[in-house]
Amino acid sequence: MRQSISKWVFGLALGAMLGAIPASAAEKLRVSIIPINDVTPLFSAIKQGYFAEEGLEIDTAPSAGGAVGIPGLVAGSYDIVYGNVVSMLLAAQQGIDIRVIAPGTKVDKVEDDASAMVVRSDSGIATGKDLEGKNVGVNTRNNVIWLYARAWIKASGGDPDKVTYREVPHPQLEDALRQKQIDAGFMVIPYVALATAKPEFKAIAHPYSTVQLGVDVGQYLTTSKFLTERPETAAKFLRALRRGIEWYNANRGTPPLLEIVSGFTKIDVELLKKVNMSASPLKVDPPQVETTMKLMLDNKLLKAPIDVKPLIYDKAL
Amino acid sequence: MTGAQTIPRMRSSETSGTALTAPLRLARRLRGFLLIAALLALWEASARFGWVNSSNWPPVSGVVVALFKGWASGELLTLTASTLRRMAIGYAAGCATGIALGALIGINRWARYALKPIVEVLRPIPAPAIVPMLILFLGVDDLLKVVVVALACFFPVFLNTLSGIAGVDAVLIETARTFRISRLRTLTRVILPAALPTIAAGMRVAIGIALVVTVISEMIAGSAGLGYYIVQMQYALRPEPMYAAIISLSATGYLLNRAFVALDKRWLPWIGR
Repeated sequence: MRQSISKWVFGLALGAMLGAIPASAAEKLRVSIIPINDVTPLFSAIKQGYFAEEGLEIDTAPSAGGAVGIPGLVAGSYDIVYGNVVSMLLAAQQGIDIRVIAPGTKVDKVEDDASAMVVRSDSGIATGKDLEGKNVGVNTRNNVIWLYARAWIKASGGDPDKVTYREVPHPQLEDALRQKQIDAGFMVIPYVALATAKPEFKAIAHPYSTVQLGVDVGQYLTTSKFLTERPETAAKFLRALRRGIEWYNANRGTPPLLEIVSGFTKIDVELLKKVNMSASPLKVDPPQVETTMKLMLDNKLLKAPIDVKPLIYDKAL
Repeated sequence: MTGAQTIPRMRSSETSGTALTAPLRLARRLRGFLLIAALLALWEASARFGWVNSSNWPPVSGVVVALFKGWASGELLTLTASTLRRMAIGYAAGCATGIALGALIGINRWARYALKPIVEVLRPIPAPAIVPMLILFLGVDDLLKVVVVALACFFPVFLNTLSGIAGVDAVLIETARTFRISRLRTLTRVILPAALPTIAAGMRVAIGIALVVTVISEMIAGSAGLGYYIVQMQYALRPEPMYAAIISLSATGYLLNRAFVALDKRWLPWIGR
């Protein structure tokens, strides 16, 4: 109520100057995305016309850092947001009305796990134990990358509390490593492929698959309000996205798919050819989400356990 | 005697100034450009010869090509226009509110008692810091960015309006009162015109802030504009268009400031005298 009053006040004050305020059409869905490879199945489904066949129009709103996804969902700016499992569980802990509507990314096979802990080749660092007293670069503290970096350090004999975590954006991790501002960096694709192609850097571990093979890293999120009020739309979205996921899995590495990725990430196609794209899951895997939840408890990201299953849209299971 | 001595000296310096005008002025102007050219050459060399080893450090020639391509294709024009549109609306709203509230508090003691504390409490908060909170109320679209820009522009304009009004010559106000001119007319015809140079200075400070805050808010919660484009290109590992956008941004800021100075000179020619 307070939110809607505030919106009206600000809207009346400034709306006139802004021109037309966009009105939401019946079957138009606004989806917040991060322009990274993870959301390729969504773009594949758009491109192949799967959403159109369901009578849905997807309006993708990219946000580079991904920081506005869940706040935007709460504010009603988006119907669905692409986010990671840690952000979802953190939001759930804070009492935010959040639900997983569809699967996003999963690290199912060791050979498909491209993201890696990267160090300078001459650093002599090989395990988490070696990182004690050193600096590890992560894109954001208290989030998914940070969590699995800590878990891997622990799993490889180190004390995660004796490591300093420094926030460095993904594209700058390589420079930070080279300039010795950090001693290791948890890199994701495509940056990890570029860095490890150079002899000065090497991957020492793949934290996701080492710590938790099968981890559901990313997911499409919505609110329970959306699932209750627009059940058919939710089902249509999931159905079309699943067809997009199947198309993506069947076409990984092919020129039409690389064109799609390049289209929304703006990354050069030649560069994308060097990237190993892992398969996307068709279902959300509650036991995996529970494992992540327990890791979060261990690392004091969560205060109390969360019942995971009710957070997941039953059709996505 | 002193005055008589001063005049010829001034004249002699003026004469020498005129004599040297063309080459000296050119040299003086070139000096500034030469430094920029030298820095750009250093940039080019550092990237070409690998002095700076980074995939995020392209040669400046590549950036220039991206700059030309971006403007020729209209992409950078669209992005700049989109940023400027958001900035202009926020700036106009912030300035209008700043002047209105500044004038109200400046002339009305009750308004001063009621509003000054809250303004002082809110003033130190940097506008971009409240973006995540504002998203909850305003969503993530243009309204959010406009309100953030307006908030950032409000304070310099408000404070300058306040101090401009406080500095108005009391004789002017009392003369107006003697002539029994209404309070509103005194405000619009006497107080505000007298405070205008100070208000204009606040507005000039605000225009620089407006551009920066627009770009920051686009970086945090944007899907369009130069701010979003810079971050997008950074993540797409395309540093040339990223720097091209940054250069376009810097040129936009420079031109905005020049435009403001030109307008100041035209409309407020007594400024600086």
